[in-house]
Amino acid sequence: MHEPATYRNEQASMIGIGEYRIGSSPMVTIGLGSCIGLTLYDPNLKLGAMVHIMLPESGGREDRPGKYADTAVPLIIKELVALGCKNRSIVAKIAGGACMFEYFGTGLNIGKRNADKVRILLQECHIQLAAEDVGGKVGRSVTFLPADNGRVLIRRADGSSNNL
Amino acid sequence: MKLSDVQADAIQELGNIGAAHAATTLSVMLGSTIEMRVPAIKVVDLSQLGEYMGEESAAMVAFELQGEIPHGGYILFYITRESAVRLTNTMLGLTQIDRPLDEMDESALIEVGNIMVSAFLDATAELLGLVMLPSPPALTIDMAHAAMQSLIAQLQEETNEVLLFSTELVCEEHRIDSDIIMMPETSTLMRIVELLENMVKV
Repeated sequence: MHEPATYRNEQASMIGIGEYRIGSSPMVTIGLGSCIGLTLYDPNLKLGAMVHIMLPESGGREDRPGKYADTAVPLIIKELVALGCKNRSIVAKIAGGACMFEYFGTGLNIGKRNADKVRILLQECHIQLAAEDVGGKVGRSVTFLPADNGRVLIRRADGSSNNL
Repeated sequence: MKLSDVQADAIQELGNIGAAHAATTLSVMLGSTIEMRVPAIKVVDLSQLGEYMGEESAAMVAFELQGEIPHGGYILFYITRESAVRLTNTMLGLTQIDRPLDEMDESALIEVGNIMVSAFLDATAELLGLVMLPSPPALTIDMAHAAMQSLIAQLQEETNEVLLFSTELVCEEHRIDSDIIMMPETSTLMRIVELLENMVKV
């Protein structure tokens, strides 16, 4: 275990587990395993939001709304709408939802449950899901650039990367 | 989750004993001296996990803590990718450093993880009188944060903080740097602390 992490992007805001951010500056989540990195982007206002979701259901907990899909998705949509975004113009992208440990994963597969839940919630809120890079057994880091037309860049441990 | 200094000291001592046994087994496997660093105890808020575990590529052999407590949390053998190659090279008599890890490496890593974690838990069971058994091992070689995050999501007890309790084991001769990291469920941690406190009273 290394401490503190050597990785630090000065310009981008780090979105840790259960955190979210609204704005137009770059945002980063590192090392998504079963977690989901959800980005929403409104091309008309050039405004975006990113949230780092860990579990599908909050079970009534309200202390960290960004941690659960069922509280995070409505919350960030509401905040974007409050800033003038329209549901029909918002574009969503999701990454993560992997199963890192196959042995433990068989019964639980939290990654898949997270991704399924986010997709359903987006549909319920009439948000278009434009692209996704989910599942498998690989970790992903996500950089979100609202100012660059909502570009989402995915990086993996093997050094490969792609745009969403 | 807040530990008093006395409780933290007690857990550190537990780690010392567990890691010393694990270090001995690694030393025998490699035929080389293993040095053990002072165990570190960190209470980490989930949103800050990236401060401790980053994007670095590492091999992690994870076990669920089972036995008297059915779902006690997780314990893992953590080794950076570079050290993992040097470790399996030493074991398998290979020399090439810049190479992909194949099935043979994976088997070797799982075996080392299994032996070390078993040694760690044997020693702590003897001290605590609480039997914690490792589940079958699960290996991943990927971003450290992604693996740790996945284990945290699997914890049974809902929490915003985790206690990471790690001991670094270093082999200078072969430049191998590894950690044993324990992440107990909150109730398991409390049980361990209680057992340690009772021991001090007697």
